[in-house]
Amino acid sequence: MKTITFNQKKTSQIALEFDELIPDEVYSWEKADFEKYMVPIGNSRFPLTDYFDIEVEGSAESPEEIKMILNGDYGRVKYIGTKMGAGEIIVNGPVDLHCGSQMKGGSILVNGDAESYAGREMEGGSLTIMGNTREFCGCSYIGDWRGMNGGTITIHGNAGKQLGECLSGGSIYVKGDCDILAGIHMTKGFIQIDGDVTRWPGGQMKNGDIVINGELGRLLEGFVQQEIVENPEIDGKDFSGKYIKYTGDIALNGKGRLWLDAEKNRHLLY
Amino acid sequence: MEYVLKNGIVYDPANKVAGEKKDVMFKDGKIVDSVSADAKVLDVTDKIVMPAGIDPHAHVAGPKLVVGRIYRPEDSRKGVTHKTDILRSESGFSIPSCPSTGYRYSRMGYGTVVEAAVPPLEAKHTHEEINSTPNLDIVPLSLFGNNWFVLQYAKQNQIEDLAGFIAAWLRLAKCYGVKIVNPCGSEAWGWGMNVHGLDDPAPYWDVTGREVVTALAKANEMLGLPHSVHVHPNDLGHPGNYPTTVSTMEALKDIEKNSTVRGQTMHLTHAQFHAYGGTSWRDADSGADYIADYVNNNDHVTIDVGQVTLDETTTMTADAPMEFDLYKLSGLKWANKDVELETAAGIVPVIYSGKAPVNSLQWAIGLELFLKVNDPWKVCLTTDHPNAGPFIRYPRIISWLMSNERRQEMMDNREVHPWSHRRTSLASLEREYDFNEIATITRAGPAKIYGFQDRGALTPGFNADIAVFDINPNDIDPSRNHEAIEKGFSSAMYTIKDGEILVKDGEIVKVVKSHTLWTDVKGMEEQEKRVMDRVMPDFTKYYTIKFENYQVHDKYLPNPIVTEVQAGK
Amino acid sequence: MANYEPPVTDYESIVENCTCAFCGCNCDDLDYLIKDGHVVGVRHACRLGASKIMEDMDQRLLVPMIRGEDGELAETDWDSALDKAAELIAGAVRPIFYGWSETSIETMHHGLELGELVGAVLDNQATICHGPSLQAVQNAGYPISTLGEVKNRADMCLYTGSNAMNSHPRHMARYSTFPRGYFRPRGRFDRTVVTLDPKYSDTAKMSDIWVGFEQNGDYEFYNAIRAVLKGKKLQKEFISGIPKEDVEELAEAMKNVQFGALFFGLGLTHTLSKQRNIDIAIQMVADLNSYTKWILMPMRGHFNVNGFNIFMAFETGFPYGVDFARGYQRYMNGETNTIDLLTRKECDVFMVIAADPGAHYPGGAVKHLAEIPVIQVDIHWGPSTEIADVVLPGSFVGVEVGGTSYRMDGVPIWMKKAIDKPETCRDDEWIIKEILERVKKIKAEQGALASK
Repeated sequence: MKTITFNQKKTSQIALEFDELIPDEVYSWEKADFEKYMVPIGNSRFPLTDYFDIEVEGSAESPEEIKMILNGDYGRVKYIGTKMGAGEIIVNGPVDLHCGSQMKGGSILVNGDAESYAGREMEGGSLTIMGNTREFCGCSYIGDWRGMNGGTITIHGNAGKQLGECLSGGSIYVKGDCDILAGIHMTKGFIQIDGDVTRWPGGQMKNGDIVINGELGRLLEGFVQQEIVENPEIDGKDFSGKYIKYTGDIALNGKGRLWLDAEKNRHLLY
Repeated sequence: MEYVLKNGIVYDPANKVAGEKKDVMFKDGKIVDSVSADAKVLDVTDKIVMPAGIDPHAHVAGPKLVVGRIYRPEDSRKGVTHKTDILRSESGFSIPSCPSTGYRYSRMGYGTVVEAAVPPLEAKHTHEEINSTPNLDIVPLSLFGNNWFVLQYAKQNQIEDLAGFIAAWLRLAKCYGVKIVNPCGSEAWGWGMNVHGLDDPAPYWDVTGREVVTALAKANEMLGLPHSVHVHPNDLGHPGNYPTTVSTMEALKDIEKNSTVRGQTMHLTHAQFHAYGGTSWRDADSGADYIADYVNNNDHVTIDVGQVTLDETTTMTADAPMEFDLYKLSGLKWANKDVELETAAGIVPVIYSGKAPVNSLQWAIGLELFLKVNDPWKVCLTTDHPNAGPFIRYPRIISWLMSNERRQEMMDNREVHPWSHRRTSLASLEREYDFNEIATITRAGPAKIYGFQDRGALTPGFNADIAVFDINPNDIDPSRNHEAIEKGFSSAMYTIKDGEILVKDGEIVKVVKSHTLWTDVKGMEEQEKRVMDRVMPDFTKYYTIKFENYQVHDKYLPNPIVTEVQAGK
Repeated sequence: MANYEPPVTDYESIVENCTCAFCGCNCDDLDYLIKDGHVVGVRHACRLGASKIMEDMDQRLLVPMIRGEDGELAETDWDSALDKAAELIAGAVRPIFYGWSETSIETMHHGLELGELVGAVLDNQATICHGPSLQAVQNAGYPISTLGEVKNRADMCLYTGSNAMNSHPRHMARYSTFPRGYFRPRGRFDRTVVTLDPKYSDTAKMSDIWVGFEQNGDYEFYNAIRAVLKGKKLQKEFISGIPKEDVEELAEAMKNVQFGALFFGLGLTHTLSKQRNIDIAIQMVADLNSYTKWILMPMRGHFNVNGFNIFMAFETGFPYGVDFARGYQRYMNGETNTIDLLTRKECDVFMVIAADPGAHYPGGAVKHLAEIPVIQVDIHWGPSTEIADVVLPGSFVGVEVGGTSYRMDGVPIWMKKAIDKPETCRDDEWIIKEILERVKKIKAEQGALASK
């Protein structure tokens, strides 16, 4: 087991890019290797140690044995954990764009907020965000109809617009509220939102499940009310209470399922 | 500067050199018989030496390519590379950016590519892209098969005026030859319709594909253009379309050839997409026999194949109604671009998979066509890039053609679906191409089909466009070494263009500007004037651009290669 | 008759078939009336185009300037100004080259080479206007046509989130609604004009049908039309404020035309669901093609805004917001776009070519611009000049210098030169090329120094 600790010395206005600092790349690095490393900032590279004190403890034979602890404000550090396949990253602070994007395995815990594109095109592993996220959490690359297809994203705060855009697998849990168009274009997978949702979840969805335990502001015409189900089993998970089940988006002959807490969403019944 | 390529094994089908160990010499950009003692020696002992490759049909530059690039960032992202001291960064897999297109062809030993579909209204755009594509000479073909003026001339059977129109429009658009796509079908698409077969008239115009193809072929021969009409027949991609293809060829059977530089009066392009039997995709099977038999028994037709490579790619064709059908099958994003008075185009991403029965059938039909057409001078290697697959897969196709063992293996171990052998005769075809035949279908054949008099052969006086591959033909069994063949043809040991070494050991060492080939017809001045007098009133009324701003100015062709043709001679 | 202006008769020569350098219509039928080396009258153009062309000397930037220690712009010579610009660019860590939509493709070539050399972000006005349209195109497709198809065939023209009468005054006159086309010989009388807009705009006023759905209701409205096209009976009485019967009626009408054309503007791109409004409109148009023929088209604003997107796509694979910082191109909305980089205060040198961010950007972005070096290449004084540190006076494409542009439908046009530029100005192409050469020199010196 090897623990790599970053303690922030100073922040940068121009974002740092951490795509080369994932457990898969750095598991064999010693302190001296980090001290040699030049981190991309804009069109240049600068010594990593200008920005962080780095401690390395223990040893590792493989990325699985890596624990990276990042202390400080990472609100200007992009691509944390991008494409990582194994190991553990804990960030004690906020993170910038693309945290956990294209992640294949391992885990990331963010004790703070995450900027947009957290968990973009995730294939496996787990990403936990204790704060809020902005737009396009768990989405696809622009233009691609294949989005996140595995792994789990858990957001303890609120989620921004277009959560799980083009979702094609995996699960996303939001403990707080969620903005418009969650699960837009999704083809597979599972989204659960415990708080309230403003408008239009599931727009243009083809398949998959969206569960909303809070109140929904507005529903699209593309969803057809089917029945009220008590204690449903959704995507292999048991739920208690009454849920209104809709299917849609019929504009695409979609077979997606939208489950709304029946008590909180009486206003949408017809 | 003088060079000798020493001791290579040369394949130069046009000069009937098939695997001889000999030196190839060039000086000041041209092939020569002899050089002085000062000539620089490039040792290529026991390596394959061929003329540089010529791609007779691809989509590499122009408006629909750019729509593809704009709307498929997920494809552009796939091929991104870091810039180097001499190369710009690349992008794209199925629709590479212009610089990437030039680099990748160059690495494969290619020197010339035909851009097969230029709408004259947007020809400036095509020429801009050609100028941004390095290391290649590009040959644009102009679209005529759904042009409103052509429809009228064809209906009235005014061949001489049509010839005048073609002469004028090739000059306006700075193009090399005549392309016909789904004649009357793309016009029907203006109303969201299509035509079915050769005798279904375009709505409102009362003219059929048969009349259009025949008239254009006659006019093409009246002018004696270096290339014949280049035909993408009706019903592309529809099960049961082979009769349409055969009747299109038959319709042009009796047209008299007026050219000494080529053998055919019709080039049938991406024949694979036009060789389907059955009535629907449920019962579809191969119609390759019918196409191959016709080509074997008639000398007026040549074909290129449009081989499916089993990749995720981007289809794009001026056959817009077909693309909409494809969109409805796949549900993936649909782009379309209709061009006033001239043509239409559709673009849809497609995932060709060996697991899919239909794609496997298409794969097998393409190979059948290669293997069943007996004369390699009549068939060319293409993927109709990017429609059936990206051009970077040519080496893989070569490896399939040279190895029956590999083909059988793919069918046996289910790399392709059983439809590939249940519904075609591919499993029974043991023919394997040799290196000379490969040189024919990728170099000498296309050069002859296009009537090129300066490339495609290692004839003294020709451009020193040469490719050397790190393969020793006397020491390899292509049948058993398909991987080595693919690798060898993927990265040229040398690519030489106009006597300059552009690629060495698979790496680009020099980047040069491309040339644009176009045909300037002389001797039709009177007809052209008559045509312009007739066309101008309608042009002014129905186009949305002024005639002065319609034409392609010389500025857009900084490096032209003009083929002058004396009409009727 | 207070507004009557007599026709211009006092001119020396006419240059015909000039192309208007204003909006994305790129009308190429203008006649310039020339006197004393100036355009004194313009025939055929709309008021927007004519005034831009004729008032070419209004607040014209004529000499290079550098902002001094005192905070004031001071006139200087070309060499000093270009050297200063090159020095700033060569030393930048996160440079952005923004604009390009009112200059020629020929200029862009040099700009791209410079961007690739130093690792800059290249972006154009799409980032603040039709960027969402491009994103939607990337998600949902792009069923378009050239404008002549509309003129010759369309029997329904539908404008949504676009007030073409004001923003693109000749669009309806020259391309869509009024002109007589081959299959529409009676012009306006052969077409139905529909406007979907919360606002009763000038375009709505002259339409046959106006549907004034509620603000931000676009996505829901199009979703309902798609549901109707799939045969669904609508449940809610009102969809985005429109009675369901009206929605059904409109869907039916759209199904039953021969050729429909949907034109959309910033009213669709900049309401609540942003790119998803376009996304669903594109899919609606695709749905309609199962019944009849429909196309759609973004109403592009500047005369070469589409040109930049096309140019970047064929050169780099991506249409706008292309970041070369790492030595290869990256395209990621929200990360490699100008506004995000400015509001995040990441950009450290900003070059603006033929655009006015000072007038168009959100406050936060302009605030950051005021804090960093800004190089301006333009022909007119504007808010951006007030925050510029180096000002390089260019020339007027399509009037004083020729250049290639792409119309909103992708038709390329060579915009020819009609008059000479002011002696002290330089062509945009020359300016960018000069900066490129000077940056190359600095980089070579740096390289030589580093290798010692």
